[in-house]
Amino acid sequence: MAYLEIKNLHARTGDIKILKGVNLEINKGEVHALMGPNGSGKSTLSSVIMGHPDYEVTEGDILLNGESILEMDPDERALAGLFLCFQYPVAIPGVSISNFMKKAVDARHPEGKAPAGPFLKEMRENMDYLDMDKAFANRGLNEGFSGGEKKRMEILQMMMFKPSIAIMDETDSGLDIDALQVVAKGVNKMRGPELGLLVITHYERILTYIAPQFLHILMEGKVVMSGGPELVKKLEENGYDWVRDQLAATV
Amino acid sequence: MPTLNLPLTDTPSLLGGFDETLLESARKGEHALLQAKRTAAYDSYAQIPNPDRFHEEYRRMDPDLFKIATFSPLEIPETAAAYQAVPEDSNYDVVISVSSEGIAIEDCNGVLTDGSLVVMPLDQAAREHTTLLEQSLGAAMVPGEQRKFLDLNGAFWNVGFFIYAKKGVDLKGGILIRYHNDQAGTVLLPRLVVVAESLTRFAIAEQFTSPDDVKTLCISGRELLLDAAADVKLVSLQDWGNEGLHIGEDWARVKRDAKVNLFSMTVGGKVSKMTVGCDVCEPNANAYLGGMFFADRDQHFDQKTLQYHSSADTYSNMLYKGAVKDNGYSVYQGIIRALKNCVGVDSYQTNNNLVLDSTARADSLPGLIIDADELACSHGATFGNIDQEQLYYLRSRGIPEGEARRMLVMGFFDEVIERIPFENMQDHLHAVIERKFGV
Repeated sequence: MAYLEIKNLHARTGDIKILKGVNLEINKGEVHALMGPNGSGKSTLSSVIMGHPDYEVTEGDILLNGESILEMDPDERALAGLFLCFQYPVAIPGVSISNFMKKAVDARHPEGKAPAGPFLKEMRENMDYLDMDKAFANRGLNEGFSGGEKKRMEILQMMMFKPSIAIMDETDSGLDIDALQVVAKGVNKMRGPELGLLVITHYERILTYIAPQFLHILMEGKVVMSGGPELVKKLEENGYDWVRDQLAATV
Repeated sequence: MPTLNLPLTDTPSLLGGFDETLLESARKGEHALLQAKRTAAYDSYAQIPNPDRFHEEYRRMDPDLFKIATFSPLEIPETAAAYQAVPEDSNYDVVISVSSEGIAIEDCNGVLTDGSLVVMPLDQAAREHTTLLEQSLGAAMVPGEQRKFLDLNGAFWNVGFFIYAKKGVDLKGGILIRYHNDQAGTVLLPRLVVVAESLTRFAIAEQFTSPDDVKTLCISGRELLLDAAADVKLVSLQDWGNEGLHIGEDWARVKRDAKVNLFSMTVGGKVSKMTVGCDVCEPNANAYLGGMFFADRDQHFDQKTLQYHSSADTYSNMLYKGAVKDNGYSVYQGIIRALKNCVGVDSYQTNNNLVLDSTARADSLPGLIIDADELACSHGATFGNIDQEQLYYLRSRGIPEGEARRMLVMGFFDEVIERIPFENMQDHLHAVIERKFGV
C-alpha cells in the first residue's frame, strides 16, 4: 500500500467533469512528475487532493497513510501531512508573513503553540537558504511580491511545515532561470526518505533540476501513461501527439 | 462650485433647543473673544438650512435619528476633578479627562513646564493666548464650505481645549483626551483647537465612552492648523455605549512640507456621523486620512471625507475600511477636490467594505471633482465577504477555519490600525473587532 493512493478518482466543478478515473500511487522518498497538456486536469487534481471547496469528488477515493481524506477539511489534510505548493498563491495584505507562519507552525505543534525562539531561528535560516530578504517577514503575505518571490514563499512554507507528501502545482510557471534554481535548491534539500513529492508541470525544464524517478502523463482526466526518467526524454522529443498516437495504437 | 453646501436661508434655521437663549447662557461671563466667536458661529449656523433627508448628504443618514431636541447640554463643573489614572495612561505625556464630575489635566511627564507646549481649556487660552486663539478658533474650515454641526459646536461648545506646540516641539508619548458621559439625556459639545508651529511633531488621541443603555449625544468639532513641516496625528475613537449618538467634524489646514494624519475609528454607539476634511494648501503638504468602522447589531455609521487640494504639488491618501454584520449599516461618501491650476496633485481615495452577512448593508460613494490638469487622482471602493480563496489558502496551511477567518478580518483592518501611533489603542481596537466578529 502506497503512502498516498489515488484510486479511480472522478471529480467535477459545477457540471463540468474534469477528472475521469485517476489512479496514482506515491510513497515517501519518491519523486513523481505529472505532465499533461493544458486542460488535462493537472491543477484540478492538486486542488481535489487539497480539498478545494469548488470541486466535488463523485467517485473513487484518496487515501493518505491508508485512510480516506475525502471527508477532511483542507486544514485537517494539511495537518495530516499534505502540502500544496500553489501555482498562483493569493496575496493577503494585512496578514504579515511572520504572523501567518507562526499560526501555521502553532497548528502543527502538539501543545498548539510553538516556542518563538526556535521558530524564528528556523525561519531565518530557511529564508537565508532561499536567498530571501529577512525584511520580508514583516510584509503582508505575498503582497506586491514578484512571481519568483511568491514561489520562494511557497518553498519556505514547505521547509517549515515538513509535509510527508508535497504537491508542486506548476511551480516553474512564471519563473526565470535564477528563481527556478533557488526553488529547486529548496526542494532538493527537502528530498529524502520522509517526503513524497508530486511535481506537476507542462514543461520538462523543471525536471532537469528536480529529477523524478517516475513520470505520469495525464490526458482528459486520466493517467494514460506512466514510466521512468526515459519517458521524460521521449516526451520531450516527440510531444503529446506521440502519446496520443501510442494510445490510438493500443486501442 | 462648492461641494457640500445647501443655499443659505434668510430665516434662522435652528435645531432643537439650540437657539439664542442657549447661546446667551453659553456666552454668560465669558471672555469677550469667546463671546464674539460664539456669536459669529451662531450666525453662520442659523443661516445654514437644517439638514433633511432630501439633501444628498443625508439620504442615507436621516438627521432625525439624532433626536437633537431631546437633549440638553451636559453640565461640566468648573472645579477641577481629581485625576484618576488608568494603566493605559502610561502611553501618554498628557492626559485630560472630561466627565460630569469635571475636568482633569494631568501632565504625566512634565512636558508642559517649560511652556513650549500648551495644553489648556479654551477659556484660559482666551486670556493667555488671545491673539493666537483669535486667529485659530474657527479658522481651519475649508474655504467656502458650510458645516451646520461644526458651527453649532462653535456656538454652543461646553468643553474646549487649546493645544499649541511651539516651533520644534517633538512629543514622544502624545496627548490623550478622554471623554466619558454618564448623564442620560445630555449632549456633550467638545471643541478642540490645535496649532502646530513649524517642525513640531506630536500625536493626539480622543476617546469617547458612555455606559450602555444611557442615551447621550455628542457633537464634536476639531480643528488643526499645521505650519511648515509640522507632523501631527489625531486619532478619534468613537467607542460609545449602545445608546450613544455622535456627530463629529474634523478639519485640518496643512501648510508647506507639513503632514497630517487624521484617524477616525468608529466602533461604538448607536448612530454616528463623522466628517473629516483637510485642505492641503501649500506645496508638498500631505494628508493621510485613515478610517475604520464596524457596524453590527443595528448600528448605523456614516463617514464623509473631503480631500481638498488648494495648491499645486500637494498629496493626500485616504483609506477607510469598514465591516458590517447583524443589521449594521455603514455609509461612506467622499470627495477629492483639486482646484484650478493645482498641477502635480497626487491623491488617492480607497474604501473597502467587508459585508459579513446578508442582513447588513454598506454603501460607498467615492467621488472626484477635478479642475486641473497634470495630476494623479484615483478612487475605488470594494465590497465583499471574506475572500474564499484567501480562506482556502490559510486553511490549506493547517490553520483552522475560525482562526483563518479571524486572521483575515484582523488583517483587513490592520492596514489602518497599524498606522495608529498609540499601541494601547491598537490593542483595544483588536479586542473590539474580536468581540464584534464573535470569535
